[in-house]
Amino acid sequence: MEANVLQIKGLVKDFPGVRAVNEVSFEVKRNAVHCLVGENGAGKSTLIKILTGACERTCGEIFLNGTEFCAKNPKDAREKGISTLFQELNVVDQLTVEENLTLGLEDAFCGFLRKTDKVKKIIAVLKDLEPSINPKERVSRLSVAKKQIIEIAKAVAAETDIIIMDEPTAALSESEINRLFTIIKRLREKGVTVIYISHRLDEIFTLGDYVTVMRDGKHVATKPINEVKDRSELVQLMIGKTVIESYVPKETQSDQLLLELKNVCNHKLRNISLSVNRGEIVGFYGLIGAGKTELARAIYGADAYSGDIILHGKTLGKTPEKAISAGIALVPEERRTQGLFTLLTIKHNISAMNLKKISKFGLLNSMQERNTAKSYISQLNIKTDSMDKETSKLSGGNQQKVVFSKCLFANADLLILDEPTRGIDVGAKAEIYAIVRDLVSKGKTIMFFSSELPEILNSCDRIFLLYEGEIKAELRNGNDIDSQNIIHIVTGGTAS
Amino acid sequence: MIKNMLKPIDRSVSGKISNESYLNRVMFIVLIVLFGTASLTIDNYFSTGTALNLIANNWYIVILGIGVTYLLVSGHLDMSVGGIVAMAGVLSAYFCQPSNEGFTELGQGLGMPYGWAVLLTLACCLVIGALNALFIAKMRVASIIVTLGTMSIARGIAQVAALGAQRSAGLPNIFGVIGSVPLFGPIKIAAAVAAVLVVIALFVEKKTSFGRKTYLIGANREAARLSGVKVERHIALLYLLSSLLAGITGILLASEMKAGISSRGSGFEFSALVVTLLGGASIDGGVGSVLGMVIGAMILGVVSSAAYGLLLRPEWQFILKAIVTFLAIIAQRYLLDRRSR
Repeated sequence: MEANVLQIKGLVKDFPGVRAVNEVSFEVKRNAVHCLVGENGAGKSTLIKILTGACERTCGEIFLNGTEFCAKNPKDAREKGISTLFQELNVVDQLTVEENLTLGLEDAFCGFLRKTDKVKKIIAVLKDLEPSINPKERVSRLSVAKKQIIEIAKAVAAETDIIIMDEPTAALSESEINRLFTIIKRLREKGVTVIYISHRLDEIFTLGDYVTVMRDGKHVATKPINEVKDRSELVQLMIGKTVIESYVPKETQSDQLLLELKNVCNHKLRNISLSVNRGEIVGFYGLIGAGKTELARAIYGADAYSGDIILHGKTLGKTPEKAISAGIALVPEERRTQGLFTLLTIKHNISAMNLKKISKFGLLNSMQERNTAKSYISQLNIKTDSMDKETSKLSGGNQQKVVFSKCLFANADLLILDEPTRGIDVGAKAEIYAIVRDLVSKGKTIMFFSSELPEILNSCDRIFLLYEGEIKAELRNGNDIDSQNIIHIVTGGTAS
Repeated sequence: MIKNMLKPIDRSVSGKISNESYLNRVMFIVLIVLFGTASLTIDNYFSTGTALNLIANNWYIVILGIGVTYLLVSGHLDMSVGGIVAMAGVLSAYFCQPSNEGFTELGQGLGMPYGWAVLLTLACCLVIGALNALFIAKMRVASIIVTLGTMSIARGIAQVAALGAQRSAGLPNIFGVIGSVPLFGPIKIAAAVAAVLVVIALFVEKKTSFGRKTYLIGANREAARLSGVKVERHIALLYLLSSLLAGITGILLASEMKAGISSRGSGFEFSALVVTLLGGASIDGGVGSVLGMVIGAMILGVVSSAAYGLLLRPEWQFILKAIVTFLAIIAQRYLLDRRSR
């Protein structure tokens, strides 16, 4: 048997306009926990998708146990020896635990399902991992963590050489994380190789044997963990030369009230009350599903709510067009489906939120529209050869800048940014942070919703922590901020 | 031949102009090529008379096409226009037929002056449009389902009001004026009305915020809503507009024939949809233009007049039209795909 269970040589993946994975080569040792780190957009997810057959590589080679490996789809990959625990849960809520576990493995006799040895084994694995789960329970009634354990059981029972875990702890509480670690260590003892992806660097030091760092689609380094000096060395490798400016507290704190929320509730939000002062950058941090997007959309009037939202002393109307005319603009979470008109050109996108400003009595002034587009393209450094280009042809970062331009042209006092840097490369991210700072210096107010703690800590003056639709804590940013404690709170721990 | 004519254009415009103007040029070339081919193969085809006939015989599809194009650009279908054409024709006749006793049932109407009859007819058409708007914009039922329903309702009203036939007895003379006064050659006032409407529609489409909002909604309804567009209201207006245009078409056609015929306009909804698609509109919305639709209508017109000139029996026209439509739409897809590469 070879020492390397997996070998990746010169792997490349091109998407239109972006090279997501660029000439990546590294080896994964057998019987180890191999961590994969890098910022969002570094190419980790794409690499994983190629390994699991969810997307096709452009060129390059992959060897599993010394033989060429090419998976057509995740099921094919599992049969060939790589199973995956995806970030998004792939459980069917309407079915029971047992039905979920055996999904795709059903063995029928004359159309009747049979309990085969395979099925019995999976159930045994689950019992072993988490005895408290009843196999007859409907999955919709389980917590996220338990749903995840079901997925782990599935991956373990497939007895593959490699199990890929993509951010498995993102939605888990501390005790659940500890249990997961025990499981991973036991898998390693059984000779399974785990490729572990996480943003939480501490986990990598506790758990990993090796670490591979990726940046901008390229492979930066692969090292045994004990050769990595400390956390900051790893961070240095991850972010490279692009150093994100760290937070500088403002000298003067404004106390002029801009926005006030009183007991805002809806299907997700529980009694949200808060206030935002003019000129602040207020951060909202929480895990996926904590209610960040719901809060952003409620303030903007995109979703229904009860309670009062007061801007400039006046109660806000409950539709987006009323929010816009009151001076609010939203950069939505999903760029392609909510923010951008991908079929339309850059100039038509930029003017979309404020057609009134480029028109008189309903007649558009195309000269004014072109000038507007031109000025935002140069102000925000949108890389394009023409303002008449369809926005579908731009890269993610440039698309996001078009969405920003659109919101800036709406001339809002308050900008709500929902995951403004999702899926864009590091360089564009730094530009977005610079834009945010610049806006605040021009008197705008920013509400910054993100599930990436570093960017919240780098940009925001005040931080609200959300968990299950509730505000769990409010912190003032500064040197003494304890990110450990923040993680503790947003995973459901009590504020200390 | 077509390929050779496309090539120089393709090179000269690569990456410079929008997909929409590119498609319009392509379809215009197709139109010229079809017209040229017909002129070469059919004696006496190439004449002013043929060109004028082309306009005289297709104006009503163009008027309907305006409303259908706007709706398709916004991502919605309107299959009710053919039914509304019939309803408008029959009602406009019924409203101004004499109300005296003693006529047969089909000859007796409400005895209104023609002007009032027209206004009341348009109001009835707007009611159908409002039904479409209510179900599609407000209650978000799929547009194809709703407009297929209102298509039947409108045609049903026409059938009932004309007892399954037509209303032509006792109509005042003024009823036949606007549809049949000749301007020059075969062209009548109705075609001029269509031309004026097209010019207005082209302007509204490209130069007003109303037109722009239509594209925004079709390109991405949710993004349009989050950008402050009153999406529901806008879609409702588009359906009202489409039903109004269909009403105008129905009144003009009834005037042309001096009869409100309950079977008039059957299949018009499909013709209007086909010419819109021929003009490069996407069935998913966000793409399309009135100019393209007009070119599309001319293409279909050339095909049917050529079929007539070739002495094809009329029943074969449908198949010929279908073949041209398929070829044109496949060519559009191919060229756009190649262009985006």
